[in-house]
Amino acid sequence: MADRRLADPAGQDLRRDEPIEFRFDGRRRTGLGGDTVASALVANGVDVLSRSFKYHRPRGVMCATGRCPNCLVEVDGEPSVRACVTPVAPGMEVRSQNAWPTLGRDLLSLTDRFDRFFPVGFYYKTFIRPRRFWPLYEAILRRIAGLGRVDITARPDLHPRKRHLHADVVVVGGGPAGCLAALEAAAGSSRVILVDDGSRLGGHLRTRTSAVSGDPRIAGLTGVRAAARLAELVAAEPSIEHLAGATAIGMYDGGLVGITHGSTFVRVRAERIVLATGAAERPMLFDANDRPGIMLASGALRLAHLHAVRAGRRAIVVTDDDHGWRQALEFIEVGIPVVAVVDLRPSAPDRALPAEVAAIRARGTETLFGATVVASTGRARVSGLRLRTADGTERTIAGDLVAMAARPEPVVTLAAQAGLPLAFEARLAEWIPVADSADVLVTGHVTGLTDDELICAGAVLAGRLATGDRGGRAAAGHEAHVARVAAAFAALPEPLPTVLPAGRKPFVCICEDVTAKELAQGIKEGFESLETLKRYSTVTMGPCQGKQCHGNAARVTAALRGVSRVETGLTTYRPPVQPVPLAVLAGPHLNPVRRSAMHDRHEAAGAMMMDMGDWKRPLQYGDIDAECRAVHERVGLIDVSTLGKLDVRGRDAAAFLDWLHPNRFSDLRVGRIRYRAMTDDAGIILDDGTVARLGDERFLVTTGTGSLDAVDGWLRWWLAASDRRVDVTNVTARYAAMNLAGPRARDVLARLTDLDVSADGLRYLDAREGLVAGVPTVLLRIGFVGELAYELHAPADRAAHLWDALMEAGATDGIRPFGVEAQRVLRLEKQHAIVGQDTDALSDPRGASMGWLIKADRPDFIGRDAIAALDERGLRDVLIGFEMIGTAVPAEGSAVVRDGRPVGRVTSSKWSPTLGKAIGLAWVPADDAVEDRPIVVRLGTGREGSTAPAVVRTSPFYDPAGERVRS
Amino acid sequence: MSFLIGCPLCGPRDVAEYRYGGEIQSRPAPGSAQADWSSYLYGRTNVSGVERAWWFHRAGCRRWFQAERDTRTNEVIRVGWTLASRPVAASSDG
Repeated sequence: MADRRLADPAGQDLRRDEPIEFRFDGRRRTGLGGDTVASALVANGVDVLSRSFKYHRPRGVMCATGRCPNCLVEVDGEPSVRACVTPVAPGMEVRSQNAWPTLGRDLLSLTDRFDRFFPVGFYYKTFIRPRRFWPLYEAILRRIAGLGRVDITARPDLHPRKRHLHADVVVVGGGPAGCLAALEAAAGSSRVILVDDGSRLGGHLRTRTSAVSGDPRIAGLTGVRAAARLAELVAAEPSIEHLAGATAIGMYDGGLVGITHGSTFVRVRAERIVLATGAAERPMLFDANDRPGIMLASGALRLAHLHAVRAGRRAIVVTDDDHGWRQALEFIEVGIPVVAVVDLRPSAPDRALPAEVAAIRARGTETLFGATVVASTGRARVSGLRLRTADGTERTIAGDLVAMAARPEPVVTLAAQAGLPLAFEARLAEWIPVADSADVLVTGHVTGLTDDELICAGAVLAGRLATGDRGGRAAAGHEAHVARVAAAFAALPEPLPTVLPAGRKPFVCICEDVTAKELAQGIKEGFESLETLKRYSTVTMGPCQGKQCHGNAARVTAALRGVSRVETGLTTYRPPVQPVPLAVLAGPHLNPVRRSAMHDRHEAAGAMMMDMGDWKRPLQYGDIDAECRAVHERVGLIDVSTLGKLDVRGRDAAAFLDWLHPNRFSDLRVGRIRYRAMTDDAGIILDDGTVARLGDERFLVTTGTGSLDAVDGWLRWWLAASDRRVDVTNVTARYAAMNLAGPRARDVLARLTDLDVSADGLRYLDAREGLVAGVPTVLLRIGFVGELAYELHAPADRAAHLWDALMEAGATDGIRPFGVEAQRVLRLEKQHAIVGQDTDALSDPRGASMGWLIKADRPDFIGRDAIAALDERGLRDVLIGFEMIGTAVPAEGSAVVRDGRPVGRVTSSKWSPTLGKAIGLAWVPADDAVEDRPIVVRLGTGREGSTAPAVVRTSPFYDPAGERVRS
Repeated sequence: MSFLIGCPLCGPRDVAEYRYGGEIQSRPAPGSAQADWSSYLYGRTNVSGVERAWWFHRAGCRRWFQAERDTRTNEVIRVGWTLASRPVAASSDG
């Protein structure tokens, strides 16, 4: 193991005195503090971290920045974790993915040999015929398909959180350009958020030992020291908040930047956004360009500089740009010998980089020009490169590390998402973003620049522009800068043409195993447009989301079609830039809970609670039959605090309620209550409840538990932009409510109040305000459960006292608290429908057997014309009561069938202990809505199942005349 | 959707605080033709461009107001209790 580690000063992130034990595929491994899972594995001599998606080819660390799919592993049960950016931790259980039975011997790698059976779009072709075998194919393909496995029993130790941050400027990217822009913006007294996915600031400087030029704060320092210096400056700037190890995953409208920061999702809104997302080396195209040991040069340098890991002993650097020569020198500096630099360009960059070229040659490194890489050699790991040299001969160079150092591609993803247009810069042969708005700026390598001085100057300008100084000095400086940048591009040599790779496995897309050959086949089949070719071949559609392959796919497509890059274009960039666990996007699982004022009384009484919206309500207190009996025979008390309660008052309140309902309230006398059901202009029932007139211009309106928010919004909508003098106040939380029900309810209540609650003093549907048990109470004589009943609304802070007083006063009468379940049975005995359970988005009042409440003899109300139109059409389906013949209780949702076909449905059904029958409510065709009509109900909600007979009952099962409730 | 809307009462807030109330239209007079009701209830112009719509500040002041918004960019151009009146605020300088 030791020989895979480099000596100091390599390993900036490493704590060499801190060994970390973990396991990979069951074997014990040892890493060091500061290692990522990937760096620790490479240090342990593990070359193969995964098997590829389609051909199950062995894959090793390639980018070391979390951009490519090669190191996706399962960590402690979490699938598809990027090993190269995940710190290794003691006891970690790391497993390889997509290999069976083992990573070393993956039987499915046979697909690699039989690739002719898996042509591009194979799932549209190969496994289609014969049709009858599809179930077999499907079963096999399902086993093979996908990446990683999800353990549905695992409960990952994720505590997702959300943060909402606001700033003047958000800078994405902590390389030199991002740091300098952030510092400049902060100096301009902006509040700045600096987002960087690295463990420390500095970006590419962290893997660079050559001297930096440009900004005086870092000029002359080595890259590594410059990075440290910038980090110090940022840390010393109080108005910069640095989010380290955070990834900006998307740009959304309204200037929102979505950021993942560990398991926290950060939403940043800023006045201005500076994108300094840098540039990234792209993979080079040749046969078998995916062998372990073939890496991006920057990836190998990251392993070396950050984790002191030697990715190989003899490096071959392949390049098409001066960049590769600088990288070659970095390998030498960090202690990895370079056996050859292979430059695809025809001649050496002696003029541009005399010192670098001389230094490289002085080390005995072979230099080749105008060469073509034909293929890699080796078995699991690369052993060398087969080249065609400038004179056309083939030769092989041995090396165990191939460092691909093509000219870095600007990382334009976020810029494109932010809506910046991309322009094709012909000399770079790259797309670069055009900052055409003052709100989103781009700076650094992402603009296509490579020169330190220009980058530093541009970054400072961007920081200044981001502070809002557009008209002043910064703008003038900006003009000059733009001219210098244009001159720099113009001075570049003609770019090399794209050379199409030969061979069977030159991978364009390593996520989905798409080769150049397959793109050619796709184009031949007519998928010429990059957008359709992408969908057909799945190129750019893998876990990396095109980060590694988008540019190459566009290049190869352009070359294959013989058209320009501009004509070929690009595909749309969409968030997220990096894969994000869904839990992080979802955020914390927060369930607001509302408890009524009597909640602890219920708990003390042994209530089983249920959820109703946000509320907790007693479902039952242990004996539903006894609860029903108490209400019918003596007295019961139920907490109905969850009812929505609206105080509607004002000069036009009565007329307003008239307008909103098919029934009338203006003729309701003060102190009286009326049932209400509200419809919309389509005549659909929205909600029901009661209206109590407490004063000439004052009404207490109750709504269903779940519909309060909608009803409140509905009332306010009809008041908006209107000159009606009405005020609506939601008093749901202000009042707790309880319903005292049963033949002895009056006796119990009389003991606690001076109000006249006698049969004549407080008649059915009367409302009073007064003291009950010393508590100011709105007393409504209404009931849902078919017995003499009183609904008491009392201030929430004193309601528990009222509850206690009622329970105590009723003790001698055998009072019982009853819950929602008993209430549901009792109301069903009365055929009282529940809006939302017994009605749906197609239910009108007449169909719901509420036609009696419609007062149509009015010029207008909401739903008037619709109800008239429905009346003209005639009834189709009607909500009726039914009782079963026999004891079976059909499930709610069961079908009502006629001749074996469903014609209706059961919306409520219960066993009534009072009646000794199974009863319910159901929608049936209008011609069946006749007393005593036999109907057939399917038991169970499936398509099949036994049926049972029932008969229609159009009036309440219990006390049909309603004498008890009026008594 | 993640843009800001300037509530006339509360100022700029995330769109998630609001409920969309649909395009501003006028309710047909009672007795109107079925076709008018049908288009009022179910028809939408769904413009690609500047739309005038109702918004409800559901998680805030619970007031309805009207906003002019470009549906292509989600830029909120103008808000007011009603757009007929003088605009009371705007969340964007555009």
